[in-house]
Amino acid sequence: MRIDRTHRAWLIASMVILGAATAVYIPYAANSPGGPSGGSPIGLTFGIVGSAFMVFAGLLAARKKVALWRLGRAQAWMRGHLWLGLLSLPLILFHAGFHARGPLTAVLLALVIIVVASGVFGAALQHYIPNVMTSEVPFETVFEQIDHVRSQLLAESAQLIGRVSAPLSLVVAAPSGDLAATADAALGAEEATAPLRDFYELEMRPFLENPRGRNQRLADPQAARGIFKGLRVLLPPGAEETLKSLEEICEEERQLRRQARLHHLLHDWLMLHIPLSFALLLLGAVHAFMALRY
Amino acid sequence: MPRAKLTTKKLAERIDLNYFKHPHPLRRWRTILSVAMPALALLWLLWIAFTHNARVYSSGRMSASHAVLTARCDECHVKEAGSFSAAAEDRACAACHDGPIHHANQVFTPKCSGCHVEHRGPRRLAATADADCAQCHADLRTSGAATGFAREIRSFGAGHPEFAALRPGSTDPGTVKLNHAVHLKANLLGPNGPVQLDCDDCHRPPASQAAWRFAAPQPKPDAAPAKDVPPSRIAARAYMTPIAYAKHCIGCHGLQFDKRFKESVPHDTPQVVHAFVVQKFQQYIAEHPAELRETNSSRDLPQRPAPPSPRQVTPQEWVAERVAESEELLWRKTCKECHALSVAPGAPLPAVAKSNIKPRWFEHAVFSHDAHRLMKCVECHAAAPSSRETSDVLLPGIRSCRQCHHPGGDAVESRCFECHTYHDWSKEKAVKGKLTFSHLLHGD
Amino acid sequence: MSAGAQVELTIDGKKVSVPAGTTVFDAARLNGIAIPTLCHQQNETPVGVCRVCVVDVGARVFTASCVRPVEPGMVVNTSSEKVQRARRTLVELLMADHPSPCARQQQSGDCELETLAKRAEISRSRFGRRSTSRGKDDSSPSIAVDFDACILCDRCIRGCSEIRNNFVLGRMGKGSLAGIAFDDNQPMGDSSCVSCGECMVSCPTGALTNKSTTETAIGSGPGIEPVTIEDLQELPVFKGVSGTFLSLNRGAVVRRKFRRGEIICREGEYGSTAFYILDGKARVSISSPMAHVKTIGRLKKFLGKLSSGLTQRAQDVRDEESNQRWIPIDAPVDLAYDNPVADLGPGDLFGEMTCMSLYPRSATVRAATDCTVLEMLRNVLDIMQRSKSFRAQLDKSYRERALDSHLRGVPVFSALTDEFIGSLRESVELVRYSPGQVICRQGDPADSFYLVRIGFVKVSQAHPGGEIVLAYLSRGDFFGETGLLRGDIRTASCTALDHVEVVRIGASDFNRMVREFPDVRRKLEEVEQDRAQQNRERLAVVQSVPLENFLQQGLMEAQSLLLLDLTNCTRCDACVRACADAHDGITRLVREGLRFDHYLVATSCRQCLDPLCMVGCPVGSIRRRNSLEVIIEDWCIGCGLCAKNCPYGNINIHPFEVMAEDPENPGRKRAMVKQKATSCDLCTNLAEPSCVYACPHDAAHRVDPRKFFAGLVGQSGTPAQKIS
Repeated sequence: MRIDRTHRAWLIASMVILGAATAVYIPYAANSPGGPSGGSPIGLTFGIVGSAFMVFAGLLAARKKVALWRLGRAQAWMRGHLWLGLLSLPLILFHAGFHARGPLTAVLLALVIIVVASGVFGAALQHYIPNVMTSEVPFETVFEQIDHVRSQLLAESAQLIGRVSAPLSLVVAAPSGDLAATADAALGAEEATAPLRDFYELEMRPFLENPRGRNQRLADPQAARGIFKGLRVLLPPGAEETLKSLEEICEEERQLRRQARLHHLLHDWLMLHIPLSFALLLLGAVHAFMALRY
Repeated sequence: MPRAKLTTKKLAERIDLNYFKHPHPLRRWRTILSVAMPALALLWLLWIAFTHNARVYSSGRMSASHAVLTARCDECHVKEAGSFSAAAEDRACAACHDGPIHHANQVFTPKCSGCHVEHRGPRRLAATADADCAQCHADLRTSGAATGFAREIRSFGAGHPEFAALRPGSTDPGTVKLNHAVHLKANLLGPNGPVQLDCDDCHRPPASQAAWRFAAPQPKPDAAPAKDVPPSRIAARAYMTPIAYAKHCIGCHGLQFDKRFKESVPHDTPQVVHAFVVQKFQQYIAEHPAELRETNSSRDLPQRPAPPSPRQVTPQEWVAERVAESEELLWRKTCKECHALSVAPGAPLPAVAKSNIKPRWFEHAVFSHDAHRLMKCVECHAAAPSSRETSDVLLPGIRSCRQCHHPGGDAVESRCFECHTYHDWSKEKAVKGKLTFSHLLHGD
Repeated sequence: MSAGAQVELTIDGKKVSVPAGTTVFDAARLNGIAIPTLCHQQNETPVGVCRVCVVDVGARVFTASCVRPVEPGMVVNTSSEKVQRARRTLVELLMADHPSPCARQQQSGDCELETLAKRAEISRSRFGRRSTSRGKDDSSPSIAVDFDACILCDRCIRGCSEIRNNFVLGRMGKGSLAGIAFDDNQPMGDSSCVSCGECMVSCPTGALTNKSTTETAIGSGPGIEPVTIEDLQELPVFKGVSGTFLSLNRGAVVRRKFRRGEIICREGEYGSTAFYILDGKARVSISSPMAHVKTIGRLKKFLGKLSSGLTQRAQDVRDEESNQRWIPIDAPVDLAYDNPVADLGPGDLFGEMTCMSLYPRSATVRAATDCTVLEMLRNVLDIMQRSKSFRAQLDKSYRERALDSHLRGVPVFSALTDEFIGSLRESVELVRYSPGQVICRQGDPADSFYLVRIGFVKVSQAHPGGEIVLAYLSRGDFFGETGLLRGDIRTASCTALDHVEVVRIGASDFNRMVREFPDVRRKLEEVEQDRAQQNRERLAVVQSVPLENFLQQGLMEAQSLLLLDLTNCTRCDACVRACADAHDGITRLVREGLRFDHYLVATSCRQCLDPLCMVGCPVGSIRRRNSLEVIIEDWCIGCGLCAKNCPYGNINIHPFEVMAEDPENPGRKRAMVKQKATSCDLCTNLAEPSCVYACPHDAAHRVDPRKFFAGLVGQSGTPAQKIS
């Protein structure tokens, strides 16, 4: 979700909350004997509010699972997740008094910082990467189906190559229906298309079959352009259509790879953010229980 | 062959309608990790529970005195059956410590943990914050009679009154006359010539082994302090040795009573002195019977020789006359030099007022001269060299303490606990220890 | 020259005597001398265009023997050196352009031109071939036209006009652009050609050949009996059909016997044949459950998922129910909604739309008694349709059986009395139109009211710059009332989209109807006002200035687009999952498609103004509701045509498990999988479309493209600014 003018209300509310919290914290920290502590009434309040924000942020995952239940629009939840999740960090820091003396609390503080920082990072990514994807990958398709589409490209290119190897397509049909002459033409056609078929077997098919391959010349648009230019020289003009189609297929494959990379860039941070946040909630609950009991 | 023109339908037909039901590795890993991480955390917690290692829940390191209990959380955190909380209650502290309350008429008794905050790292537990004391003393209320204590003390710097001994109108209750200015002046005449007295010729902590300059030779020295105990551990060094005639005065102020004797009378009650004097004269006349016959030659004036009128007295008369003379000297001059004597009408011997020399001026605070030995005596007791009156209270005022004892990093500890204590240790009850090694060290 | 007088002349040195008026060719023929010809055919008026039959009569130039009448004392030399050379040159000229071997030569080896060439030992023409091909015409179901092989001999024209009196063929063009043409130079299949085959039989070359029917012969199946041409010709329905044609189309019509209880055809299947019942009775019904797809909340299930299921009308009355009581099917009768079963008997033809327009079968037909049917392919049905006796029979059958239910089935006419319908019976006309034919033209005076019996009709309005489609009408719809009610001219043109048959009610009958039944008049007027309103709205759309790309993608046609803002979208699939959750686990939207500006136009129903999905529904179950979303009625048979027709791929066919009547054991139910068509229904039962509701990044929007892109579309050529 992009943070734009529509977030103004949330921004102001968050600033107000942060300001109020700071205004409460500073005198409290200054005046507490022994320093601010999570167990003191004010500290406890900070802790409760901070954890409430964190729990709400964590509930986003559950909300998404029951997307149709009328519990508030997904966008409202997302905005809440962003702002309240962000606010939970200063509140928890106020709760902890900016120190974490025990092992469990030290782990929790580290987790909170990592989770919120990764969330901020992810939110920042979301302002940038979708634009990049939109402008750089015109052939974008559904990410989960990239392999499926790729196999279709492979089939299409195999079909193109198969057709081009058939002798008659490159030679104007003999008018008299003389079979011998046609066979000669066929042989000539096979030799003529050998460079294309070699290129396909050696470069293009591995390129399409191996999305993670290295040292693939076709992965570089400049190199690919050069290769196809060379092929155009080697092959008769009748192969132009096929070459154009193959070139487009290569371009699409390059774009699919780019899309996969960008998609990973946009989503990989969630691998850190989500699991750690669940661990955080679990350990936070344990901490709350233990601290209140003891 | 040109590729088919891409239309929405062709693009859409490429996509398998059920694609989102077959999770992509990315999504699958996210789910796996989302389960694995909390599971890992749970395993960690279970391991902790299994190994009874609750230290991980600690909210901070233990103080130095309780560090041995670090692994024994439930020594202090005792959980009662049926209640949720297992906070460290007073009862747990009382297993090893007795902490008598401050005053019988206090309206509010704080919990042990209210002032003595554990889990803050290796610091003194006794080092309570001023605010803990101020929770009563900032607005002092008592149940019962009003007290004379200040009612709004927040800290040493805010609200702490001047020391009681220095309040206007209070005087030194000592009855032994002493003029510090005379004693400390230069060229003071001593028995063997001029002397310069110094503060520590009279005022010194008791464990000091240095000889008193003006003391009687003492056949028995004070008990030597234990050899291997550092000075800071000897409580007796906090206060000065009480002023004693034998240690501090006898060097110059002899108690001779008659020129016939070199000795002084013992520094004791008039009864003892009288008995001594009588005994001494009796002994003397028994040894010098010739003195029974008195001539008054010593009373001749050069121009008017008195006719000789020899007297012959009996030894008892002689002793009585001599005792009367000596006692007149003593009661009217020698003892009176320092003491306040009073003669009740008809009483043969005077009464000497109690000396009332205060050994310890702070009744409700501790002070250790030994901790302050770095200072020159007159820096704090500035009034002493110029004090002429016995009634002068030479205790330094609170202003002198506040020079160094004030809040701040470059100042000396100024919190309440440094001088005062909450617990009335006179009421301390003995606590019988119950821990065994196996329990303390191994948790059995 | 008086008739009956004899003329004396010399042919090749032989003296002959023939009646006056005989042509030189005939004179030679009568005397055993054969003159080669190309354009001359014995049973046709000679025209003398090919000049192959030239002979030397001693004149300055050779003369075409087929047209030149004999004169007394004529000396004819039919095969002199010069004449032979001339003929040879002519053949060579014709062979230059001939696509040798032409279709006829390949099929039967008897192309007359190539035969002549071979005889003249011409293997290669000296003359150059023409540079452009004259093309082929493959539109006729039975006859293939190859203009390259045409030598413009006029035989076909004469055969069609003189022999068959159909007057379809003619000449067009001049010089090298000259050629034969059908009607107004329409494709043969769209013309009034009746496929009698005369032209094909007359053509000397492979220009007109019989389309090979071996691939399209009806395969062997159960109960097929071979049927001879004689058998067929005995049937009254085949009266007037050329025997040659039937023999050439052997295999395109077969006789089949069905035992009682056997299924003749199943609803939803695709086919290409029509059935004509010779004897016996058949029962036609729709076995797909009368239920529409509804998104319901299954609260009983854990988590209360929404899913789609089949709901019958009794359990779910939707707003604006169509109240259609009759389901239009591809047979002489309509099925009643409450009891979709009807009977067919001898002389009934069903499966017309499947055969002619390749629509899926609209109902299941089962033999009620042992019956014999004729199953035929399109070329044969085509012939039968044009046979006047067959048409008369079908007409009669319709008037007696179907007109009643058909008229009554239109809600507007529900108030008509039996008496009135009886009076209409004879005066209505059943008119057929072929694809593309205009039924009534904008601006013409209104003189009839039309009821669509089969096929699809496009209603459009011509404007100075082009044409706008206002609506598509299908079986059960009517048109033409606007002009009649106003007594005015037609405000729009109606064109047949495929093979259409309409019931035409003349102006006088129409006026009588609205006079006697004011209720009907009122209802018609309501309909008319509705339509006028919709048309106004439609025209308003066109008046905004469109951007090229916008138009190109057809976005102007949409009333509601699902746009995914690509600058916000994180490609998380929440929209797709939500849609699937709301609809039985099958998503109604796909996150693929073409982009417009920085939006992805997702593949999800666009509620087009010009709904191509509705064209072709065999049971007329897909319709529009409230001028917005498309709904599919209870009797959808799941044939999948709408899914094929939708150009954006927005409609899908989904299987549902139901307990339905077991076709093998009537009266018993069996668990089966039935297909129903589904598409995005805008989540009308919820407050907001699920995809929009569930998108966490504010990237999914269901918008009216005209309003949403109003700013954009107003500035042509400027790239989009973000519409706030």
